[in-house]
Amino acid sequence: MTTLDAPAERTLTLRETGPATRGTRPDEVVIAVSPAFGDPFTQTIVGVPHAEVLRQLMAGIEEQGVGVRVVRVWGTADLAAVSHIAARLSGSGVSVGLLSRGTAMIHQKDLPRLSNLELFPQSPLLDAPVFRAIGSNAAQYAKGQSPQPVPTRNDQMARPRWQAKAALLHLKEFECIRADAGPVELEVTISR
Amino acid sequence: MSDRLVVGVDIGNSTTEACLALVGPGGAVTHLGTALTRTTGVKGTPASTRGALTAVGRVLAAAGRRPHELDRVLLNEATPVISGLAMETITETVITESTMIGHNPATPGGEGLGVGTTVSVLDLAEHPVAEPAVVVVPPGWDFDDVAAALNAAAARGVPVVAAVLAGDDAVLVTNRLVHPVPVVDEVSAVEKVPLGMRAAVEVAAPGRTIRTLSNTYGIATVFELDPDQTRQVSPVARALTGNRSAVVVRTPAGDVTDRRIPVGVLELRGEVRTTKVDVDAGAEAIMAALARVQPLRDAHGEPGTHVGGMLAAVRDTMADTMGDGPGGSDAADCAIRDVLAVDTFVPAEVRGGLAGEITLENAVGLAAMVRTSRSRMQAVAAQVAAELGAEAVIGGVEGEMAVLGALTTPGTRAPVVVVDLGGGSTDAASLSADGVCTAVHVAGAGELVTKLVDSELALDDREVAELVKRWPLAKVESFFHVRHEDGTVQFFDQPLPAHVFARVVVLGPEGPVPIGTRHGLDAVRRVRREAKRRVFVVNTLRALRQVAPDGDLRRLDFVVLLGGSALDFEIPDLVADALAEHGVVCGTGNVLGDQGPRNAVASGLVAAHARGAVRAGGTA
Repeated sequence: MTTLDAPAERTLTLRETGPATRGTRPDEVVIAVSPAFGDPFTQTIVGVPHAEVLRQLMAGIEEQGVGVRVVRVWGTADLAAVSHIAARLSGSGVSVGLLSRGTAMIHQKDLPRLSNLELFPQSPLLDAPVFRAIGSNAAQYAKGQSPQPVPTRNDQMARPRWQAKAALLHLKEFECIRADAGPVELEVTISR
Repeated sequence: MSDRLVVGVDIGNSTTEACLALVGPGGAVTHLGTALTRTTGVKGTPASTRGALTAVGRVLAAAGRRPHELDRVLLNEATPVISGLAMETITETVITESTMIGHNPATPGGEGLGVGTTVSVLDLAEHPVAEPAVVVVPPGWDFDDVAAALNAAAARGVPVVAAVLAGDDAVLVTNRLVHPVPVVDEVSAVEKVPLGMRAAVEVAAPGRTIRTLSNTYGIATVFELDPDQTRQVSPVARALTGNRSAVVVRTPAGDVTDRRIPVGVLELRGEVRTTKVDVDAGAEAIMAALARVQPLRDAHGEPGTHVGGMLAAVRDTMADTMGDGPGGSDAADCAIRDVLAVDTFVPAEVRGGLAGEITLENAVGLAAMVRTSRSRMQAVAAQVAAELGAEAVIGGVEGEMAVLGALTTPGTRAPVVVVDLGGGSTDAASLSADGVCTAVHVAGAGELVTKLVDSELALDDREVAELVKRWPLAKVESFFHVRHEDGTVQFFDQPLPAHVFARVVVLGPEGPVPIGTRHGLDAVRRVRREAKRRVFVVNTLRALRQVAPDGDLRRLDFVVLLGGSALDFEIPDLVADALAEHGVVCGTGNVLGDQGPRNAVASGLVAAHARGAVRAGGTA
């Protein structure tokens, strides 16, 4: 029997099912991933597997009884843009944007693109429980509740220690952008 | 004799007000302007001189006059009444032997009642097939694994009837079960749940509350208890009332007790007799005892008890603030002249609870009013006179001056009673038809309301509590609209700031401020109004009874509300509603016809001076 401390290797399969459409259900949160999420990248900057990231985000939303759709944004790797595109696709207007290195944001469609509901800028500090909490909060916003913001950790050393790697990862992600492609709907399969 | 320029200055607990006027030889008063500033230091102490000078400077500047034109500065005889606050919890809930889990997780899973034997998920594989199992899951387990373990056990023939989880996974686990069962989650101290005991888990449908475990006979049925045992579990049932989910474990000596904390005895010394009252008897008993010993000369708490500490703390603060300078007083000089006790509740963590359960424990809030033996107004007057080069006179008792000021309100006449709803104390003064003035001060006002709001909503932030007290609430429903507390909707052209999204906010002067609470808008509003009612309505009635002829409120005609708290958006209405049943005309004052409930004492000082000038003119 396994526990969270020793997570089993799960594999993530993301299958495109067509162009992403605007949702009509008021009880859904849209998760948008960046161009390189899942393929070619498979883990965040600190090695949290993308399968686990997505699984925990979706679990946080499901625990609140809210529906979830996952889309991929091809046209940009800018977190605010990814999140805002997803928010406008979301039936509830609430979305979670996710970059391959782990940086995440909760967005809402009526906000200016560069604003947000909650931002988690320090990707090296995000682990499975934080992704669960992000999903949970996004779902609560969708339900019109007022969750306590996810406590943001702060590490003064995160920037000097991780900045070079983050920049490389960002460049790599940038190369995966397909400027002419619109956001697509994804079917998520997580298996062991 | 030409017109003379005079200024009345009222140094109050929180604001200092000035009123500038020309007084003619016949006593005719021409008002030139008013000004308001924050009181510096404690009123009546030399520190408050600076505020007084600021107020005078402002009113002169506004009227285009110079300080040397001033003939006279009129200062009020500041009543050296200061108030202090303290709060003490008087009950505590204790759970022994981890009998129950009564917290309300936001999202329990499944629905219904499951009764079985507690077993750890680690031992589930060896659990006998015949015995219904309530599975206990320690922290660190993934929801997929838990669901797989439960499904495997069920496939083996073990009747899995319920589960208790450490993490926030109840819905996730339930969604993955072949046969959904009630699941309670977020039980942080799950390792303390006794294993191998009979237990019942109940989860109600969304929007409902549990029916079996909140009912004494329901628990008796589930556990097949005899009448004596049933009597014992009745507190458990009561503690679970109103929850959406609950777990009860039957242990040999498990119990839930609602214990009274002995906080000590309050000794009230009146003019004629002395009485003692247990503080844990509650506010009603304390106020009844106080009514018996009126007028109060001093109050003491039993040394070494909580109440002793409370009153000593109040007294010490007062002695400190009054003693900052030559001629300072010590604690013995400070006599407590009035006490207001208010029943309140404080959210507190249950001792022995497994999930950080919070119950509302009873508490008593005490506002005590201290009257010191000396006032240092002479020193203030001397400094003001030196600074302005005009004669400074201390004239008149605050209460009388307030009445004179209040009588400038259109539509009033003597006999009249003014009620000054301030920050630290509530004061009443009455002027009878034949010119006799009586004044009383009772403890408890705006600051006590702030404290009650703060503790009952568990805000732990005085600033936010102050905002909740002062401004109406609203719920931000989208970035472009809010729903006000009366149900009306307001739209905005510009999006609201992101940090207020979906929150209950206070609509303060600087835009919406979010309140950090799990409570809904209605609950916050109820707490706010109840706090105001328990302090201001109770105190107004208490003060009016003391100044009314024979203590009969029906014999009062006009009641004028004054002071900062009379500017509140609902306190005057609450007070007027309470007085309406006594047939009293009650309303917020409008001093000089345009000042609202402000500036009464300063205007009264000018009016009194003008009258005096007439008399002086007659003899000269």
